[in-house]
Amino acid sequence: MSMKIQADRLAPWAAYLLVGVGALIMLAPFYFMFVFATHSRTEIFSLPPPLFFGDDFLTNLTILTERIPFWRNLGWSLYVALASTALTLLFCSLGGYAFALFEFRFKKLLFGLVMATLLLPSFMNMIPTFMIMDVLGWIDQPRALYIPGAASAFGIFLMRQFVAASIPRDLIEAARMDGCGEIGIYTRIVLPLLKPALGTLGLITFIASWNNFIGPLIVMRSPEMYTLPLALRSLQSPVNTEWGALMAGSAIATLPLIILFILSSRQLISGLTTGAVK
Amino acid sequence: MGQVTLRGIRKSYATVDVIKGIDLAVQEGEFMVFVGPSGCGKSTLLRMIAGLETITAGDLLIDGIRANDQRPADRGAAMVFQSYALYPHMTVAENMGFALKMAGVARKQRDEQVGRAAEVLRLGELLGRYPKELSGGQRQRVAIGRAIVRKPKVFLFDEPLSNLDAALRVNMRIELSRLHKELGTTMIYVTHDQVEAMTLGDRIAVFNQGHVEQLGAPLELYNRPANVFVAGFIGAPRINLIERPPVSGAAIAHQALWTALTSQTSTDAARIGLRPEHLHLAPTGEGIAATIALAEHLGDVSILHLRVDGVSDLLHAKVGANLPRCEAGQSVRLLPDANWALPYDANGRLIE
Repeated sequence: MSMKIQADRLAPWAAYLLVGVGALIMLAPFYFMFVFATHSRTEIFSLPPPLFFGDDFLTNLTILTERIPFWRNLGWSLYVALASTALTLLFCSLGGYAFALFEFRFKKLLFGLVMATLLLPSFMNMIPTFMIMDVLGWIDQPRALYIPGAASAFGIFLMRQFVAASIPRDLIEAARMDGCGEIGIYTRIVLPLLKPALGTLGLITFIASWNNFIGPLIVMRSPEMYTLPLALRSLQSPVNTEWGALMAGSAIATLPLIILFILSSRQLISGLTTGAVK
Repeated sequence: MGQVTLRGIRKSYATVDVIKGIDLAVQEGEFMVFVGPSGCGKSTLLRMIAGLETITAGDLLIDGIRANDQRPADRGAAMVFQSYALYPHMTVAENMGFALKMAGVARKQRDEQVGRAAEVLRLGELLGRYPKELSGGQRQRVAIGRAIVRKPKVFLFDEPLSNLDAALRVNMRIELSRLHKELGTTMIYVTHDQVEAMTLGDRIAVFNQGHVEQLGAPLELYNRPANVFVAGFIGAPRINLIERPPVSGAAIAHQALWTALTSQTSTDAARIGLRPEHLHLAPTGEGIAATIALAEHLGDVSILHLRVDGVSDLLHAKVGANLPRCEAGQSVRLLPDANWALPYDANGRLIE
């Protein structure tokens, strides 16, 4: 009897311990990324390795900016992420709205085709993407990154579900009776009501673009056009990798995402579940 | 202002004809009700007048101007939807002023007009609220307010009271009636509820399968239904339709009922219609023999469902509650009031 009570009392603590260890394992690399960003290469490889913050961050930053055009790469990352997010929001909301509320020929077939693109493994697109960008003469240009990603099947699907669940047809018709044209209906009625879904999709798109490594690897050639993941990768070599500088760059690259996530994690979760639970 | 004329209006989807040629003139200031069973085309016709559905053939004239190809907002019609269709991201005031904003009316004038409409509908304190903070009845009033603000030539109502509970529906009905008197604007009102149709309409158009079965004042429709469809659709409990008994071998009671009903009207009738309130109970020894199949006591009246030998359908009688209590299985005597008998020919048309 008492054994059982004791076990009941211990169970939550065991759970906390397990989750705590899991969290430690998950967070440790991030912690060490920030710690190593403030140490020189020799310190990092000393035994035992440094566990707390050092004072070499500025030195690392100097090495970083000497080896790669870091701020320029950061700028391109931001530019491409913002551009692809803006374009994705525009086209996915338009597409989702059309698929949810308009009647047109071949609607089902078209939507099926859009959805079918989700089935293609992304590596299948690598070579065709390169060939198309090459033909267009877009190699080494940021548009080679944000134009192909301007409308995603996932985004269209998310928007369509959201519109179907939360914008009744009567509302569109009421707006039409009130004197709205098609563009007016989209900007004044549909877009404001899509806000939660736009926030979610925007966040997902921004993060995906920010972290995108394969895309820039395929279409970007000159180091000054690299986005951050690619630029940071170029710091690594079989010998003579400036680990401290690499970690400093990675830490800076992570910060915008961490801030974005802290500001909007609630939005992200609510937006993803809005259409689902109704 | 506010005359709506329909000339040979048709609507087809691919090969299916939904509206099969409608000619109808709604007078200025009239309260016209479209009533009919679901799928009869009444809502579709309303949406065609609004401009939300295209017109396949025929002419729609609003104040004498052909409106077939006008944009919905240019037709001078305002619509109140069954679902209210309020914009969730706008306050009550913004909802009501939206059409004016779209029309480019200045803010000050807009606020004035919204304020005036809010006064008429007693919405004053709600102007700053969002639709989700309102009750069903309040939402409906806002939806009507949004229509009023535009000062339309004609109001279009698409089953506006269907989503309200019974008590609220009665209130809104009274309010709509009052509003019509106050504004004097033409109103076209779609409903499947015959009580709404009877109480609100100056005239009622009864729809069935894409055409108008009868057009007339409520009591005209009730007392002189032009055909058996209208007779059956208007009035609850349903009108009794008694078939002519066979020439030979008719049941005695059936024959007696027929003879009693045709004493005042044409004898060529194939069927006679008689409203339940005109079928009375008679003292023992008089009238026609019947058995009560079911008795519904509503307090003020009782509805008796009666079986008469030889008549295929149950007959309904609406009798006063002051009669001695009737129960199922009991035998009674019936006395039809032949003055109200409605003779119908073999095609179901009223013989005048």
